[in-house]
Amino acid sequence: MPHARRLLASIALLLAAGPASAASSSAGELRDGEWVSYRDAYRVMVVFEKYGGPKNFLQSQLQVLPRERGAHLDGLQLTLAGKSTELHLALDALGRTRLPLQKTAYDENAALVLSRKGVPFTVRPQVSIAARADGVYDSAELRAACVQALDFARHVDAGARGRQCVGARFVFLDKAEGGVRLRREGGGEQALPAQEADDGVQAVLVRFGAQQGQVVTVNAPLAILPVFE
Amino acid sequence: MNKLLSLALGAACSVGCGGAWAQTPAANPMPDGSRDMYVGLGAVSAPRYEGAGSRKVSALPVLQVQWSSGFFVSGMSAGLHLGVSPTFEFGPLLAVLPGRDESGSGTGLDGIGPNAVAGLTSGPLDKSAMLMRGGQLTGIAEIGARLQGGVFANYYLTPQWRLTGSALYGSGREHDGARLQLGVQRLAASLGERHHVALSAGLTLANRNDNQTYFGVTALEASRSRFAQYAAGGGLRDAHLGLRWNWTWTPSWLLTTNVQAERLLGSAKDSPLVERPTNVTVSTAIGYRF
Repeated sequence: MPHARRLLASIALLLAAGPASAASSSAGELRDGEWVSYRDAYRVMVVFEKYGGPKNFLQSQLQVLPRERGAHLDGLQLTLAGKSTELHLALDALGRTRLPLQKTAYDENAALVLSRKGVPFTVRPQVSIAARADGVYDSAELRAACVQALDFARHVDAGARGRQCVGARFVFLDKAEGGVRLRREGGGEQALPAQEADDGVQAVLVRFGAQQGQVVTVNAPLAILPVFE
Repeated sequence: MNKLLSLALGAACSVGCGGAWAQTPAANPMPDGSRDMYVGLGAVSAPRYEGAGSRKVSALPVLQVQWSSGFFVSGMSAGLHLGVSPTFEFGPLLAVLPGRDESGSGTGLDGIGPNAVAGLTSGPLDKSAMLMRGGQLTGIAEIGARLQGGVFANYYLTPQWRLTGSALYGSGREHDGARLQLGVQRLAASLGERHHVALSAGLTLANRNDNQTYFGVTALEASRSRFAQYAAGGGLRDAHLGLRWNWTWTPSWLLTTNVQAERLLGSAKDSPLVERPTNVTVSTAIGYRF
């Protein structure tokens, strides 16, 4: 019994000392909920890099999501911080950035933190369709991009095998930028309606139909997301 | 992605669980030449042996290492991820099965045995009775640790749910025991979460040679012990449920806690060695990620 008590006391001391020593060792830099393990992020993001299927229409980014609803990431950067690594990654308006896959940062067990404290966050991978500089998207190409994204989704998630590509969602910062027109092959154009998404951005849904044509954007979208159903 | 910490510290169970289920951490792609290693120390409260009515508290070393080559060591198991698909993992697997001596203590790796402390939790056998008999399994032949070899395969229904399976050979007194383990696991939460909870459930099937070694009583053993002769057969051996909670403090430090309940079944349950067919193992450890 004395041995048992000693053992339990030692464990209790370790438990009590663990969080404190962890916090002190990082000199207050790593506040609860305000960091993400680079190794864990790497592990998720490298899957796309290693994916051998067609992905020329796609891009993979890491998206920062504030835990508190309504919190903004304006002006924030994501910092990759390790023993000898410090890399500042700009975030777009959707909180996305391309995560560098670095062996040094991995081996140092680096952390991802935001450039401003007090913003708890999580991250997730996001695969989207790459925007074109001319803003013109052939519908067949858009569908092919969606199929590439679906094939990748099936590669990482067997549960996606029952889904089909039905369209693409063009995301804009505000309504003024959100002009999307559908230019039909036989002639004629149709302006597609924008809808406000949950996070305040505008989204225009382009549904794939039998008819060929082009999707024309006035301004570059923040993101083009494949839509599966 | 959510396989991260849910399976990262399987070591605690393989060292401390009565069932000694083989651990296969999720595949972990990393830069060439890198490794991901956890080392830790904690405590485990477990039955003195599978089916025992009394418990023991032991120190619990935790070790899990994964290399970029796909090779991994997780507690008492080691293996190699051969698959390249994120939804299907498979490969060869080795697992050390702790031995059992007359006192019932399993002898795991990393010196758990010498740190074992008996009688912390009361059981159906009182301490004085145990002392009079000199131990719970007095007269039952000692079983040495066994190295089992086999294969594992895991299939992900979704990134959160996976079916698990392993087949291992080499347990038992004559190294001719075989076990098949089948299970389902609900893996942990998303990136950046501090608390990860993973659930698991499974069944173990064993052949007669395996069950006879750990639950049978030979005529010789019956003549020199308090147990009646018993011939164990093969078949379903146990069903088990598990809950793992990992609390990450920093990228390097975390607390891993595991609760496993095991219900012996079939021939194993009916053994005279079994005082309590349902047992719970609880462990907690602090881990450091290198």
